[in-house]
Amino acid sequence: MILVWLIAVPCIGALLAGISPRGRELRCRGVTIAAFAINLALTLALWIMHPAVLRLAGGGAWFAEFDRAWIPSLGIRFHLALDGLSLVLIALTNFLGLMAAAASWRDITEKVRFFHVNLLWMAAAVIGVFLAVDLFLFYSFWELMLVPLYFLIGIWGHEQRLYAAFKFFIFTQASSLLMLLSLLGLYFIHGRATGVYTFDYGALMGTALSPGTGMWLMLGFFVAFVIKLAAVPLHNWLPDAHTQAPTAGSVILAGLVLKVGAYGLIRFAVPLFPAASAQFAPVAMGMGVASILYGAILAFAQTDIKRLVAYTSVSHMGFVLLGVYAGSTVALQGAVMVMLAHGISTSALFILVGALSERIGTREMGRMGGLWAAAPRMSGSLLVFALASLGLPGFGNFVGEFLVLLGVFRMSAPLAAVAAVSLITAAIYSLWMFQRACHGPNSEGWVIPDLSGIEAAIMAGMISVTVWLGIYPGAVLNVTREALESLRPDITSAVSSKR
Amino acid sequence: MVRGDFFILLPLIITGGAAVAVMLLISFRRSHLATATVTLVALGAAVISVICVAAAAPRQASALLILDSYALFYMGLIFAAGCAVTMIAYDYFERQTDHREEFYLLLLLATLGSAVLVSSNHFASLFLGLEILSVSLYALIAFHRERLPSVEAGVRYLILAAASSAFLLFGMALIYLERGDMTFFRSTQIASGVPAWSPLLLAGTALLIVGIGFKLALVPFHMWTPDIYEGAPPPATAFIASVSKGAAFVLLLRYVTLFGLHSGSVQSAAIAAIAVASMFFGNLLALREEKVRRVLAYSSIAHMGYLLVAILAAGPLAAVAAGYYLVAYFTSIIGSFGIISVREGREGGGDAVSDYRGYAWRHPWLGGAFTAMLLSLAGIPITAGFVGKFYLLAAGLESSLRLLVVVLVASSAIGLFYYLRIIITLYGPPEAERQGAAITPAVSLAGGVALTALTFLLIWFGAYPAPLLRLIQAMVGG
Amino acid sequence: MITVPIEHVILMAAILFSLGLTGVLARRNVLFILLSIEVMLNAAGIAFVAAGARWAQADGQIMFLFILTMAAAEVAVGLAIILQYYRHTGTLDVDAMGGGRR
Repeated sequence: MILVWLIAVPCIGALLAGISPRGRELRCRGVTIAAFAINLALTLALWIMHPAVLRLAGGGAWFAEFDRAWIPSLGIRFHLALDGLSLVLIALTNFLGLMAAAASWRDITEKVRFFHVNLLWMAAAVIGVFLAVDLFLFYSFWELMLVPLYFLIGIWGHEQRLYAAFKFFIFTQASSLLMLLSLLGLYFIHGRATGVYTFDYGALMGTALSPGTGMWLMLGFFVAFVIKLAAVPLHNWLPDAHTQAPTAGSVILAGLVLKVGAYGLIRFAVPLFPAASAQFAPVAMGMGVASILYGAILAFAQTDIKRLVAYTSVSHMGFVLLGVYAGSTVALQGAVMVMLAHGISTSALFILVGALSERIGTREMGRMGGLWAAAPRMSGSLLVFALASLGLPGFGNFVGEFLVLLGVFRMSAPLAAVAAVSLITAAIYSLWMFQRACHGPNSEGWVIPDLSGIEAAIMAGMISVTVWLGIYPGAVLNVTREALESLRPDITSAVSSKR
Repeated sequence: MVRGDFFILLPLIITGGAAVAVMLLISFRRSHLATATVTLVALGAAVISVICVAAAAPRQASALLILDSYALFYMGLIFAAGCAVTMIAYDYFERQTDHREEFYLLLLLATLGSAVLVSSNHFASLFLGLEILSVSLYALIAFHRERLPSVEAGVRYLILAAASSAFLLFGMALIYLERGDMTFFRSTQIASGVPAWSPLLLAGTALLIVGIGFKLALVPFHMWTPDIYEGAPPPATAFIASVSKGAAFVLLLRYVTLFGLHSGSVQSAAIAAIAVASMFFGNLLALREEKVRRVLAYSSIAHMGYLLVAILAAGPLAAVAAGYYLVAYFTSIIGSFGIISVREGREGGGDAVSDYRGYAWRHPWLGGAFTAMLLSLAGIPITAGFVGKFYLLAAGLESSLRLLVVVLVASSAIGLFYYLRIIITLYGPPEAERQGAAITPAVSLAGGVALTALTFLLIWFGAYPAPLLRLIQAMVGG
Repeated sequence: MITVPIEHVILMAAILFSLGLTGVLARRNVLFILLSIEVMLNAAGIAFVAAGARWAQADGQIMFLFILTMAAAEVAVGLAIILQYYRHTGTLDVDAMGGGRR
């Protein structure tokens, strides 16, 4: 039942925020923050209690489960389940939701109620995606996620918001429809083979597929997930959407939407189609490496600071893709670690960049410079997250990328070597960005207020989490190990590792 | 005709009687409220009577009508839709001045015609139902006789519907000539020794499909749909888009099911081609339209194309899929035109997409409802439209109609463009001179109740479809 | 009594129907379009009568009566609408309609 509450709390929050009276923005913000805080507390309680109390008897890696009939005539159930992987990602969702709500305190001053409704709605849908283990339910949440995001970008975004929102929606929706086809295909193949028509994840996992069919169905899922993950060459929507979105929208996009794609790969695309995935792994890893390098190069070529951060996401998510298909638990754990660390560091960068460009009225790096003296706390935070994102030891990003490279190295040394090049390019673009913005002469004579109390609190929270991830990664690795071991693709023998 | 026949025909008798009553009422005393109330009560009673007579179904009432659970389900749907349209029409015509009571008379007659159509089992009753529906629609469409677009739309519909009736009649005559019987069941049976498909029968079926195709506005019979949608009063458009098309579709589904459409035959290939063309052209042509009603007109062409997939699928899921999709489509399209009608009644002005800019900020509930309707038409989850589309896809895949399913998916992706464009315009920054317009109440009681109910149903059918699915399965699945 | 072969009757009906259809497509005057539709309807009526004769049933002729009645109703409503159209535009040309004839 607690799983239902995880989804219900943001929904109730959205309702309360929506009906709060006109002109009482403070109440609306308060409700939103309270909803995320409650949810975060619930998640952390689950995290702390999981080893002792929550293990289901014979439930595999699930910590908690909720299963009710929903549309019985098609074998669709309202089936939620939580394992370590879902748990850490839900914790990330609530944390980033909290941060996004706080960061929009100054950023969003118009249509405040509707904004918060969308934010909470979005969070509820993302949590639903992380919990659903009925494929129909998963698809419903997956689609529900799009609408509020479309509003967030399209209403509160920057100058080209409509174009960006359109592009984002069409890209993702078209790919989701492919997934829907694959999903139905799998449903019918499983039903015809066994006589049991069901969308249940556990049941569909062992479906026997001919190689050709398996590949086509897998590709349907893969494309949908990889578009969300924004791997090259399907990353096209990302720079526009990230750049045009308001700060909170960018936080959600970078922190959650990209993760949802990665989660889909880990949870569904690979375990449901082990053979096809094994066959496809080289291509996927190639795409991963291409994303890493291409993202880094394009990031370096940007003059718009927000766009630069957007392209670094492409690069970092390449690591995730690489880790997912490397076929070892270590690499998979690394991928999850990158997801968490990148979620926090990139979100923090977006918040900082948003705060900066709001103050000076431009996102062009050419017009920045010398901000260290003007705003030391802001510049300091920017430095911290630039370092985190380039993979300095001591931050979560380092742990993740290191584990991925370790896992990949065992499988293919050249790929690992090429991917490792990015550690250098990441250092270049991160430090370059920092240097352009904060060092050098203050040619335009900026005098800007430093981080406000709320912003400083946000930064303090995010810095402590990312450092904690770097210093004590065991907290995440322990809780996710069991889940990831059962989800690990068996690349070598091309047989489902589960059965 | 025995007593049992009269009992089972109760829904039709109530509607017909109500039409007479309304006519008399108008001639004695012109009262908009009274007329609308009588109409609403009558249609509500018809819905209840459908539930009452369901126990006695199936029953053949004379050679002409068959009242089985299939017919009764769609009859109930049609009457319920009629109720919604009545309430929206009351909201709309309350703001008009002259001659508004006749609208309800025509509405009742058109509803009666649709109900006859879905229960017909004979060419004669098909023809009668269709003509009651069509002739009332001419007048409904041209109802604003002081406005040229409305009258033009009426003329267009007159020509279109009359020509399509001629096609239909000629087709029926040819089939009758070949089969010697005009009841559906026997005219579709293949007698032993007779070749399955003679040229005459083929020609007759083709003409029949052309006639129904005009009614459903399928490509290539879609030419004037946008003009008619644009010109007619919005409540009438809501009726044409939902009930009139729905009834024709239900009829087609029944006829084709009796025929047993074999995959690979000429007929199924022809229907498949029409479906593909409707899906693609409907969605593509909607892209370049600037007016909301025209966009919805083209989108309705595409939706009818989607529904044809259910006809071709013909598997166990297909009938349920068609039923669910029709319910979802009725709810969303009546709701959409309801909001268009409410807005037009109050804000006036044009119907261009840009006229809707900031509407959701002026009237948050109506804007939210419109958003929900459009998302349902686009097929986004937790709206009824998604479950409907999901069922259609499932039905298509079940029968291995891969090409059609892929086209359905691809064209729905195209369709997203124009739905999204309207939605985002609703939330755009309002124009300065419109700021003051929010003072008038957003909607009257009747319209508000109808739209709230429709939005509620839309979400309910999308979030918890099991009860409705059970009902549809019991009524049309068996 | 001379019997007419059924094929001839159907052929005539088909020709009439095609003539009517041509009229609908080619004519620009609403009244003439309506007349052409009447021709199509009557063609269908003839086909029904012929079919009824072939099976020695009254059904065909009953359908013809229905068609006659319907045509009358349709013309009554139709002419009223066309009259309104004429009042607005002063012409009966369908090409004069907004947006042209598509």
